[in-house]
Amino acid sequence: MSASVATGSVIEVRGLVKRYGDLVAVDGIDFDVAPGEVFGLLGPNGAGKTTTVEILEGLRVPDGGRAIVLGLDVASGAEAIKPRIGISLQTASMYPKLTVVEIIDLFRSFYTTSRPTDELIEMLELGERRNARTKDLSGGQRQRLAVALALVNDPELVFLDEPTTGLDPAARRSLWDLIKGLKARGRSVLLTTHYMEEAEVLCDRLAIMDHGSILEHGTVDSLIARRFQERTVRFDTSEALPDPALADLPAVSTVKHDADATLLYTTDVAATVGALLALAESRGIEPQNLGIRRATLEDVFLDLTGRALRD
Amino acid sequence: MQALFALTRANIRSYTRDRAAVFWTLAFPLVFIVLFGLIFQGSGSTRLTLGWVDADGSPAAVKLQAGFEALQGITLVKTDRDGAIDDMKVGKVDSVIVVPAGYGASLEAAQSGAGAPGQVEVYTDPSRPQLQGSVYQAVGTVLGIVNLGGKPPLVVPSPQTVQTENLNAISYFVPSMLGLSIMQVGIFAAIPLVADREKLILKRLAATPLRRWQLVGSNVLMRVLIAFTQAIIIVAVGSLLFGVEVVGSLILVAAFVTLGAMAFLALGYVIASFAKTEDSANGMTSMIQFPMMFLSGAFFQIDQMPQFLQVVARLIPLTYLADALRQVMVGGAAFAPLWVCAAVLLGWLVVCFGIAARKFEWQ
Repeated sequence: MSASVATGSVIEVRGLVKRYGDLVAVDGIDFDVAPGEVFGLLGPNGAGKTTTVEILEGLRVPDGGRAIVLGLDVASGAEAIKPRIGISLQTASMYPKLTVVEIIDLFRSFYTTSRPTDELIEMLELGERRNARTKDLSGGQRQRLAVALALVNDPELVFLDEPTTGLDPAARRSLWDLIKGLKARGRSVLLTTHYMEEAEVLCDRLAIMDHGSILEHGTVDSLIARRFQERTVRFDTSEALPDPALADLPAVSTVKHDADATLLYTTDVAATVGALLALAESRGIEPQNLGIRRATLEDVFLDLTGRALRD
Repeated sequence: MQALFALTRANIRSYTRDRAAVFWTLAFPLVFIVLFGLIFQGSGSTRLTLGWVDADGSPAAVKLQAGFEALQGITLVKTDRDGAIDDMKVGKVDSVIVVPAGYGASLEAAQSGAGAPGQVEVYTDPSRPQLQGSVYQAVGTVLGIVNLGGKPPLVVPSPQTVQTENLNAISYFVPSMLGLSIMQVGIFAAIPLVADREKLILKRLAATPLRRWQLVGSNVLMRVLIAFTQAIIIVAVGSLLFGVEVVGSLILVAAFVTLGAMAFLALGYVIASFAKTEDSANGMTSMIQFPMMFLSGAFFQIDQMPQFLQVVARLIPLTYLADALRQVMVGGAAFAPLWVCAAVLLGWLVVCFGIAARKFEWQ
């Protein structure tokens, strides 16, 4: 406990290394997770996110570096950490012949304090399937059961490894609300994902991982602002608005075309849009499907690695 | 403790909902017992077909024939000597009885006190001792009446004698089957273990405060409970259907059921240590189960096996579990003293547990 009071972090990782034979899965990473924070590890499959999380959960032994979870070194304090954390593995599977209620009750028996079964079932919207055997659940329902099991002991720190993979959009959004609810209750969350939208919506801070290394970390806004000062104004291409005229608009640095759309890169959205509307009006037209887009984490990842996130 | 019992309950639920597991561990040995029991019982009410050759034709010979025909379960097939022997060789008749020419005359002479006794030739196959016995018993009954001068016998053989012999076969079999089913319960534990590892359930449990001893303990508890259920069912079926009563100490029976279940569970853990997939666990279980079944003396007595198989039989744990159960339950002849059986099972338990402790992977 003293260590966590001293550093103020629920997770403190320094120089963490994990090798599988010749493959370096985690290559000397550092990061901290503050109490009450939702921290994301964003990266493609094989980036080393799961290995990192499983070291922190006490499931794997690191080959180098140090990991402090809730003030305890995972190398020596794993048994003391386990009652205080909740986890959901990337591949969620359970005893196939037991029902949802039976499995939640089983996991409750492992902890000295636990949330009521019905409360967990309601939180994860598994009410209709409470007496279904897990082999009969859909992929999304299984995923939700896995998250319910991660919350059985009302943990201080929750590890969610790709929690929304395989969920439909509605279920994904309700899980996002659940994670926001955990944060509102002062719980800390470490989540891995390869959905940048998820990272943008949920994470207070995140680290972008690739090939076992953390390329950059910070808040979503700082990560984007660090590389992309410009915003993009887009509208359907029109003959009345030729490129040379657009390039002369205030604050525009570049004009690009993407399929049917024209993209204006600008350092001052208000000045550019005002001048654009005035120009269009003088030529008797109105820009169609006008929109303003800022750079996304996808753009950041592309810029950092030269590859798209989902490759 | 709460976690241990909850996990045991979960294991038992998974087991009872797995029809294949329930069949192999509970129903399969029971099917064997009932099947074999019926076979042994069928041979109990022996029906004999005898080739009847009357080369004499005297009234005394006809009277003798009537004596055989009066016996229950005897059918006579009348033919000549050569035909009768041929019939017996191909199994059409079980035995041949020849009344030689001059039977009537020598019988009269013997009755008057002059001359040797009359003779009846009885052909039997010595390789079928049980059948041979039944034939001599029938012949003895009929000739006994003749020897008494046709008066009703003063003493008749009791039919229970025949049944006692059959009970020996089934009472050999019932404890053997209990041993067999305990083996199944133990080694079949490998399959759900490997399945749970494949599904990463063991990994998920490893991230909870649950300790490994609780995980192993719940498995031991569950398998011993199932073994006791089997013991109760098999002893009840043996007693109610076939009259096989437990003559020895129930505490010793319970002790060997527990020790056997634990030794074979340890063997199940060894299988699960080497099998990577559920399918290979299935294959390895069968590979161990069937040879063990046939070489343990559960079906065939060990001293009737070829020498080299006897050596194998002396090594496998089921031999000692079945032997111990036979000794304790029905007072069967000992293959090895009880303490040796216990020591061998304990040895297997310790060695297998040691191997599993080193080799078993949780993820």
